Amino acid sequence: MYGKKVKFRALFIFLILISLVLTIFLVVKSLEENVVYFKSPTDIKNLNEIKNAQKIRVGGMVKKNSIKINDKEIFFVITDFKNELLVNFNGSVPNLFEEGKGVVAEGFLKDKSFLNADKILAKHDESYMPPEVSEAMKNN
Amino acid sequence: MSNYLGNYSLYIALIASVYLIFKSYLDANSENKYLDKNFILITSIQTIMITVSFFSLVAAFVISDFSNETVFNNSHTLKPLFYKVSGTWGNHEGSLLLWLFVLSIFLFIFLLNSRSQDTKYKLLTILFQQVIISGFLVFILLTSNPFKTLYPIPSEGLGLNPILQDPALAIHPPILYLGYVGTSIIFSASLASMISGNIGDKWARHIKKWVLVSWVFLTIGILLGSIWAYYELGWGGFWFWDPVENVSLMPWFCLTALLHTVIVLQKRNSFKEWTIILSITTFSLSMSGTFLVRSGILNSIHTFANDPSRGLFILSFLFILILMSILIFFFNQNKISNAAKENFILSKETAILVNNWFMMFFLSVVLVGTIYPIFLEVLNGSKISVGPPFYHNLLIPFLIPFLIFMSFGPSLKWIKDKLKKFNYNILIIFLVSLLISYVILTKTENSFLLSIPLIVLSIYLLLVTIKDFFVSRSSISQKISHFGFSLLITSILLNGLFSNEFNSNMKVGDERIFNENVVKLKEVNVTDVDNYKSLKASFEVTNKNSSFALYPEVRIYQQPLTITSEADIKTTLFSDNFLVFNILKDDGYYNVRYQYKPLMIWIWISTIFIGFGGLLSVIRKNEQKY
Amino acid sequence: MSKNIKFLGLLLTLIIIFIILLKGLNVSKDYSNEKLKSKIDFSLNAKKLFSDEIINISDLFDKNSSSVVNIWASWCAPCREEHQFLMKLKDMNINIIGINYKDSPKNAKIFLSSLGNPYSEVIIDNDGTKSIEFGAIGVPETFIISGKTNEIIKKYIGPLTRENLIEIKNLLKKNA
Repeated sequence: MYGKKVKFRALFIFLILISLVLTIFLVVKSLEENVVYFKSPTDIKNLNEIKNAQKIRVGGMVKKNSIKINDKEIFFVITDFKNELLVNFNGSVPNLFEEGKGVVAEGFLKDKSFLNADKILAKHDESYMPPEVSEAMKNN
Repeated sequence: MSNYLGNYSLYIALIASVYLIFKSYLDANSENKYLDKNFILITSIQTIMITVSFFSLVAAFVISDFSNETVFNNSHTLKPLFYKVSGTWGNHEGSLLLWLFVLSIFLFIFLLNSRSQDTKYKLLTILFQQVIISGFLVFILLTSNPFKTLYPIPSEGLGLNPILQDPALAIHPPILYLGYVGTSIIFSASLASMISGNIGDKWARHIKKWVLVSWVFLTIGILLGSIWAYYELGWGGFWFWDPVENVSLMPWFCLTALLHTVIVLQKRNSFKEWTIILSITTFSLSMSGTFLVRSGILNSIHTFANDPSRGLFILSFLFILILMSILIFFFNQNKISNAAKENFILSKETAILVNNWFMMFFLSVVLVGTIYPIFLEVLNGSKISVGPPFYHNLLIPFLIPFLIFMSFGPSLKWIKDKLKKFNYNILIIFLVSLLISYVILTKTENSFLLSIPLIVLSIYLLLVTIKDFFVSRSSISQKISHFGFSLLITSILLNGLFSNEFNSNMKVGDERIFNENVVKLKEVNVTDVDNYKSLKASFEVTNKNSSFALYPEVRIYQQPLTITSEADIKTTLFSDNFLVFNILKDDGYYNVRYQYKPLMIWIWISTIFIGFGGLLSVIRKNEQKY
Repeated sequence: MSKNIKFLGLLLTLIIIFIILLKGLNVSKDYSNEKLKSKIDFSLNAKKLFSDEIINISDLFDKNSSSVVNIWASWCAPCREEHQFLMKLKDMNINIIGINYKDSPKNAKIFLSSLGNPYSEVIIDNDGTKSIEFGAIGVPETFIISGKTNEIIKKYIGPLTRENLIEIKNLLKKNA
């Protein structure tokens, strides 16, 4: 009887360890693949290489008089007052998407001056700027 | 007047709290047989004082007393009465006062409900609960006093944020807090039972009620938050894996695990340490939720005013509590007697362990996704965010084994079960679910490989849980909750697989074709309503046989300038048609998003089933057969 | 023995998490930054709050000394908090120009008449565009601007504190 109990316990601990290792492995792997980095237009200009498969977020201001609209897409320029990035976007815009306002666009870089965005983020609060944006601007 | 009343009541409550801490500590160390009558008296006084304080804040909101800074910042005379009242807890100071209010009420109910319990255990529960209460009192009085006064008295308040005027959001925080605070009782009680050594089946029966109550409130609270996001935010989804949402989900996973474990403790008198660990973790996660949301450490789409000194206080308080519980756990571990028990692999105990493993796995994933960005920012300064794909990649594959386990785990017997002879019922159910899935899957060209086993299994589980209503011996509340859960999983999966949307920029008169429907923007009417300008669009959706109209709206508020989009949603039992639009630059274009979301309403209904099952279990006195 | 190791391990992990979260609290979440814009476009026109007269921004600044610009609104609670310090600055004979941000003139006037008016002049910024010229995003924000070079010498985000007063005074003296 005793032997059986010890065996059960050993099996139990073994299973827990295995699942722990598996969990950690999977979580780390998934994090590597799915983390979205935040950049400013200047960061992008300074990039050495562009990973097409890596999703990024770009933050800055929507440049004045830069929004162009057609039936399907919206084009605009994100600026951090040092460098600019052209963004193309097909999707729904938040309520506070305006020229001269802060914006965060998420998507894939085509090259150093062009972003294919699939999401535009805004915050609830109108006097609020995403901390990421101010941080990116501060670093320039 | 109400400011002074509210403020001084809190000080009296603090004095009561300090007295109770000392008194319960001293009495717990003496060998008193009975609870001193003073305890009930002083606790009643404290509860009354905190109640008075809370309602004086409510009163200040109702009468729009702008000499109170909290009211000034968060209310407005033009607000409807309902939102004036709900404004009380719609802000940092008020929500903490609500926390405190619920804390003291719960302790009072606990005292009334635990007459038959051991005196030392009761004293220790009071002690730990009063430590938490005093912590909140000090926090409120030092950093977040809701009764600060303003002079000169402003004539009008600032709080007219239209996004926050929503019935679901108004009752969401109190319900969620009832869940959070319920876990504090579980926390205090499990530490107390550890020290007094009364942990066992009797204690499990007593604490199970609290676990169930907290779990029901937490479930409904999360549901309400999700409903608000869907109907009010206009993004066309019900869950965004936003950090603020995640922090309410984490204690839910933990509490669900505890809910199952406590049954093992009650029936089999084992899993004692694990129950304690889960109780401590659940409460720590509820507190961390408050910390993460209120300190502004998170980068969330939901913004809250933030103040580092508040964050520092909650963080320190949280760590003192965790440290205290770890110390108590390690130094009283030897008091737990785990009588040697036989364990067999095929048994209900194992099934519940497996359930716990899954809950802990889901919890770890959400926890890592939520705090990893904070850690990375501190460690190397990079700014990242963790998006939905992270959660989906990790959670969805594990749903397959989870669904399999859930289909047979609950029907296993305690101690030891045998592999049954081949069961024709099961086979028939499985074949039927294969057939249904086949019909469903032929209607879509979904290339997602995992979707086939997921749909088959979720429908299978759904049918099994329905079958259980007729054959299984388990309790009706468990059947309802498990049925609700399988319905939820099925609805979410089908919703996720079959939802589609189109985004477009349209001018008045434009037509777009979507899902064999023609969507036409007929006109946009601009009108002035009370305090905002309304742009009401009229869309017509036509398919072969029928047509319907949708009227989404954009509201432009002045003071402060706020633009909100009101989606128009056509709900049927089978699907939601969701349409929202937004203004772009003044050249006639409107940004339009149209979404087709199947089975949306079933996500809400199934969650209500889950909660209802739990509620039934609380109400029914003799829920012994499980 | 192994129990102690477990305990210490747990304790250590907790302490590390505590320290990281503590640092995370202090990671700046300020709304904007100091070098967003360094020079002000003085050709802007703006409307005065009290007289409805339209003026050029450059007229407000004294070419030979530095001025303080404060962006505020009556609906902004922190503005109320910092108002006493602005009054103190006024008492030190410092020239403060107010920019009234997205506010109704009526409320703004009530605010000033009940709390006192520290500003030598207030201009209206009803849509927030003028404040953007200063690189401001929220309210309140305070700038020290050199009258000679039009440059922003110093920028304060959020309400002013008692400590800021002395700093402002010294900066103005240095850049007089």
